[in-house]
Amino acid sequence: MGLSDDDDPSMDDSDEALMAQVARGDERAYHRLARRHLPAMLGLARRILGNAADAEDVAQEAMLRVWTYAPRWQPLAAFRTWLTRVVVNLCLDRKRRAAWVALEAAGEIVDPSPGAGERAEANERERRLAAAVAELPDRQRTAIVLTYSEGMSNAQVAEVLDTTVSAVETLLVRGKQNLRRALGGLIDEDD
Amino acid sequence: MNMEQFQDLLDRHGTDLGRWPREERTQAEHLLADNAEARAALTQARRLDAALSRLIDKQDADDAAVMRVVAKLNARPLPRQKVPLWRLPAVLLDLQFAPAWPRVAALCACAVLGFYIGISGLDRRIDRFDGSFAASSDADFGSLVFEPEPLTGERL
Repeated sequence: MGLSDDDDPSMDDSDEALMAQVARGDERAYHRLARRHLPAMLGLARRILGNAADAEDVAQEAMLRVWTYAPRWQPLAAFRTWLTRVVVNLCLDRKRRAAWVALEAAGEIVDPSPGAGERAEANERERRLAAAVAELPDRQRTAIVLTYSEGMSNAQVAEVLDTTVSAVETLLVRGKQNLRRALGGLIDEDD
Repeated sequence: MNMEQFQDLLDRHGTDLGRWPREERTQAEHLLADNAEARAALTQARRLDAALSRLIDKQDADDAAVMRVVAKLNARPLPRQKVPLWRLPAVLLDLQFAPAWPRVAALCACAVLGFYIGISGLDRRIDRFDGSFAASSDADFGSLVFEPEPLTGERL
């Protein structure tokens, strides 16, 4: 049985119901759950790590943990929040062990078409912003990624990072201060 | 509220003033109405928000990457699940252990047979069996089974 199996309409569709089935060893429910959350979790890992290959490893490990720890999982928080926490912790562990690989989000683009100069400037701004985000301390970058990519409130970010709302706010303040400092007046220029 | 406090609150709560605490929002609105520097700070924060959102959208996982992870997950059997201790009895009685029951039964039968042989004295040498059994059969059965010879430890 694989992740490409068709959905069974008779199954309860909520994450928590699927997780209860996974806890009883139901591989079909596990594959359904993995299919649902894998793209988002892979994207999140990629944003935090800035490295596509590592992000794939983290996403795979996180999904295996869903299966392994399902019998011990308690629905104290939403499944999505728990899974996000697993992915974030795996990313932070990996960052502690490995040196940061700079993200080349937007390289030099040679474009001969009209308006190419403006686009090149925009790409340069984006490249510098990516580099500035990459240079942030891990927890500051994680707080910013969770806020902007997942649309989480400060309270939700605090739950994922297992800390207080006030600590998350401090991470955001310091992170944005660092970004402004790194970007200088670049962010004030019109797109 | 001064500019430093306003910038701090912008970073804490974001550029959507509707999500700020009510009292601070009211003070911020007054500041924005009177202070051009505050309006410039709000504009700059919104630009940073927009730039971060664009950057983060570009880092979305592509379908090919998702399929690679799916392929890796499908490539090998799932690991054993970590079952909490309070569920262990249920797991042991689970039907998925059914193929092992004949072996478990054979093991139990061997253990019972070994115990019976040991307790009935059938493991003693046959040339010593008749005399010792005859000598002690009218005595207590416990001395036959459990009392060894005092010097060598050999059972008579």
